[in-house]
Amino acid sequence: MDSIKIKEYKKGDSSLNLVTGHLKAVGTGVKYFVKPQRITLKYPEESLSLPTGYRGMIRLYKDVCIGCTLCAMVCPADAMKMATDQGKKFPTINYGRCVFCGFCVDICPVDALKETGVHDAAFSSRRELFFSPDKFNQDFDQPPVELLVKKVKAVIDEEKGIKYVPDTD
Amino acid sequence: MMNLLFDLRYYVLYPSFFNSVIYPGLIFTAILLLTTIWFERKAAARVQMRVGPYYASKRLGGFMQLIADAVKFVFSEVIIPEGVNPTLFALAPVLAVAMSFIPLSIIPVSVIPPSGSVFSIYFRDFYDPNIGMGVLTGLFVQYNMLLILAIESMYPVFVIFVAWVTNNRFAIVGAVRESYLSVSYDVLLIMATLSMSLEYHTLDLAKIAQSGIPGILANPVAAIVFFIAMLMGSARFPFEIAEAETELVLGAYTEYSGFLFVLTMAGSYVGNLVYALVFTDMFLWGWYPLSGFPGALLTGLKASIVVFFSVFLRAVYGRYRIDQALRGGWKYLLPLTFVSLFIGLVVGYIWIP
Repeated sequence: MDSIKIKEYKKGDSSLNLVTGHLKAVGTGVKYFVKPQRITLKYPEESLSLPTGYRGMIRLYKDVCIGCTLCAMVCPADAMKMATDQGKKFPTINYGRCVFCGFCVDICPVDALKETGVHDAAFSSRRELFFSPDKFNQDFDQPPVELLVKKVKAVIDEEKGIKYVPDTD
Repeated sequence: MMNLLFDLRYYVLYPSFFNSVIYPGLIFTAILLLTTIWFERKAAARVQMRVGPYYASKRLGGFMQLIADAVKFVFSEVIIPEGVNPTLFALAPVLAVAMSFIPLSIIPVSVIPPSGSVFSIYFRDFYDPNIGMGVLTGLFVQYNMLLILAIESMYPVFVIFVAWVTNNRFAIVGAVRESYLSVSYDVLLIMATLSMSLEYHTLDLAKIAQSGIPGILANPVAAIVFFIAMLMGSARFPFEIAEAETELVLGAYTEYSGFLFVLTMAGSYVGNLVYALVFTDMFLWGWYPLSGFPGALLTGLKASIVVFFSVFLRAVYGRYRIDQALRGGWKYLLPLTFVSLFIGLVVGYIWIP
């Protein structure tokens, strides 16, 4: 263990420190200015591929649902409520309330609810945030495919910190 | 027709017009201002691992973002708060900017040779007996070093005026800080300038630049002090104390919106350019060894680099507290100016004719 030396930064009160400190600071700034290490993800052009099991927007499979109301009971944010549709009960969801905890998906005895990998949906009014069983039954719009969206994933790089590499699969 | 064109050229290139309106004056300064703010944002973004303005014009690196911002500000509403004098409220930032612009027409940016330059016809009107050449400046004064600093030191007075007019407590605190700072940096500026004038036996910037001895070698201490005082005087980091965003919304300019806000923002950048031009002439050789229009371009280039460096410091530094800045000014830099005075006396006696 003797071979490992820990570099200590001494903070003295000498007046020379006053000068060298400023020089070091400006030097570090110039270093990063000349060789920037950007970690910004240019979102609309590049998007991070999400991990499996990502808790995105939830969808309903209406033909599987048995209307047991467990999802509405377990919902901690009161986002999910039951509605009667042609004599049968189906869950509705209000995304203005949903906290994406996934309890409803977990508790469903017949797997009628599923978490999709979509997280970047946009709504233009609060009324649109409410999903009736019929609307809830559909898959979400995927990000536009006609525009070139590069799927990338983040990897830890020793020099840069975070690096984005194209996601092949 | 040819006569008319010649007349037009004569009047456009007449240094009093050319210098105060076109070249280091209004037009050049406006363009440089936008470029400086763009550079400031891009440089800070690079250092802080971001990208900065980008989507407004991808090919120009987001330069158009500044123009878009300017257009947005110009067309947004000017809100005049209750209980202020509307005339003075609108007038105050205009006066402040005008005050910071005036020195640009006095700073010499180049010399005029007796022949061979587009400015040579004005040789006689702008003749400088100290160097035996004409000086490319809006108004030639033999004591221009003092006059520039005297006019530019009026700027904080207008900042205080702005704050007083807006009747806002953040503005008042900002103005108090500005007044504290201005006392401290003005002393440093004057002392650094004085040591240079003792060293070169003149109060004429043109003579210092034309002497061919760069001031930064002849008196590096004065250069450092002048540069730091310049940062203080134009509210650059780490001395952005009077308009500290996190503490005092925007200091003296808190109440301003729309076009008046653009003006208040322009003031400190123009001040920075003025000091940078003086710094270039005094310490960085100015236009030497060129003359005429190329010389003026060289001066402008050097001054732009100085301005860019001083805005780059935003990415490096945090903000000093007011007491730290004042302690730095009075405890460390003021003694340094005495050293620079001494260096000026000795080196000026030995080296500089």
